[in-house]
Amino acid sequence: MDFIALFEKGFWAGFAALGFAILFNVPQRTLIIIWIMGALGGFTKYFLIALDVNIVPASLVGASLIGILSVYAAHNKQAPPLVFSTPAVIPMVPGAFAYRMMLGCMELAGTSSNSETYLKTLAETTNNGLKAFFILIALSAGVAIPMLVTRKDTFKRIKSSEEQE
Amino acid sequence: MDKAFKNIKDAEAMLLTVGTLLMSSGASTGRVRTTVNRIADALGFNIELLITNRSLMLKVIDEETNHFIASLKRTSPHGVNFRVVSGISKMSWKVVEENWNIPQINTEIARLVALPHYPRLIILSSVALAGSSFCALFGGKGAELAVAFIATFFGLFIRQESLKKRFNPYVSIFFASFAASLLSVLSVKLGIGNSPDLAIATSVLFLVPGVPLINSFTDMIDGNILNGIVRGIHGLIIALAIALGLLCAKFLFNI
Repeated sequence: MDFIALFEKGFWAGFAALGFAILFNVPQRTLIIIWIMGALGGFTKYFLIALDVNIVPASLVGASLIGILSVYAAHNKQAPPLVFSTPAVIPMVPGAFAYRMMLGCMELAGTSSNSETYLKTLAETTNNGLKAFFILIALSAGVAIPMLVTRKDTFKRIKSSEEQE
Repeated sequence: MDKAFKNIKDAEAMLLTVGTLLMSSGASTGRVRTTVNRIADALGFNIELLITNRSLMLKVIDEETNHFIASLKRTSPHGVNFRVVSGISKMSWKVVEENWNIPQINTEIARLVALPHYPRLIILSSVALAGSSFCALFGGKGAELAVAFIATFFGLFIRQESLKKRFNPYVSIFFASFAASLLSVLSVKLGIGNSPDLAIATSVLFLVPGVPLINSFTDMIDGNILNGIVRGIHGLIIALAIALGLLCAKFLFNI
């Protein structure tokens, strides 16, 4: 396995996450953590793809890792988890698939259904579109579910009410 | 006006400000509800809340007399600002743990709103760097990275300018997408780089509606289905505006 290429992907994913973090105006103390989380998520995704895992479950695992890390980071750096997780998953958005799906749709709309390439374009467009759609769902689920499961807010409330008693 | 009534009125105005600020800065519906409830609890008020995407309705109930005040506030579409979300969340815990009063909270809100954004040049160049990172992730090299950088920089600049000139937000995104893809299509025409499609596809990725789509999913599985649908459609319209800008640029140069 080509680990140097994987590290390079992780490196770039970190910078893509950092750009969006600055666009979303996150507090300065969270920037480094966001770079690390983006890089780890990207590395995990491309590592799984290199192991012949489909891109959808690979994205789910990468995003879940980011979701779980964001809950810990939120605890340490005192910022809500979504501040970390939202910029960090953005490098995984299926931009290329969405782009190809869109071009495919235009081609389908512009050619007659009798033409020879129609079925091939239809198959490719469906495939790209479904991949883009399911990757998006996997990313949102991977980020949202750890937040809902851990429920840091409730923990803190239970703790403070116990101390009062 | 008697004192208790004034107190409840001040609380109402403050809680509405907190809620609308969170909503417009990109917090999920569940987070808006928990934060507003937490502050109201700490101050000793009973509240009911109706949260929609563009406005907030709040009813503050006085527990002794059972009188209530209800009012409505519009959410201003300011754009994502996680510094405010994080600041208000931190503040809400201080309200609980250090027993803040309403004037203290109002001063803190004013401070948070006035906090500066990153300098414009830093925003532009780091988002442009993110654009070329996307290009590298999809397998671009050398010249393509430079094209993605310049196209993203220019596209974001156009978006900021058109938002300043108060264009419709979706139209601003169309302009930005058109500008960015125009530059990358031009580079293809000039024969820069080996895989032209990569630069075109990645130069518009800085516009992806990440926050609306992730919040849409969070809201839906949290039970706020209506808000989730509204956010999802918002994200979809943004995606369509991006696609339209891209297609116009491609059509213009006949690629």
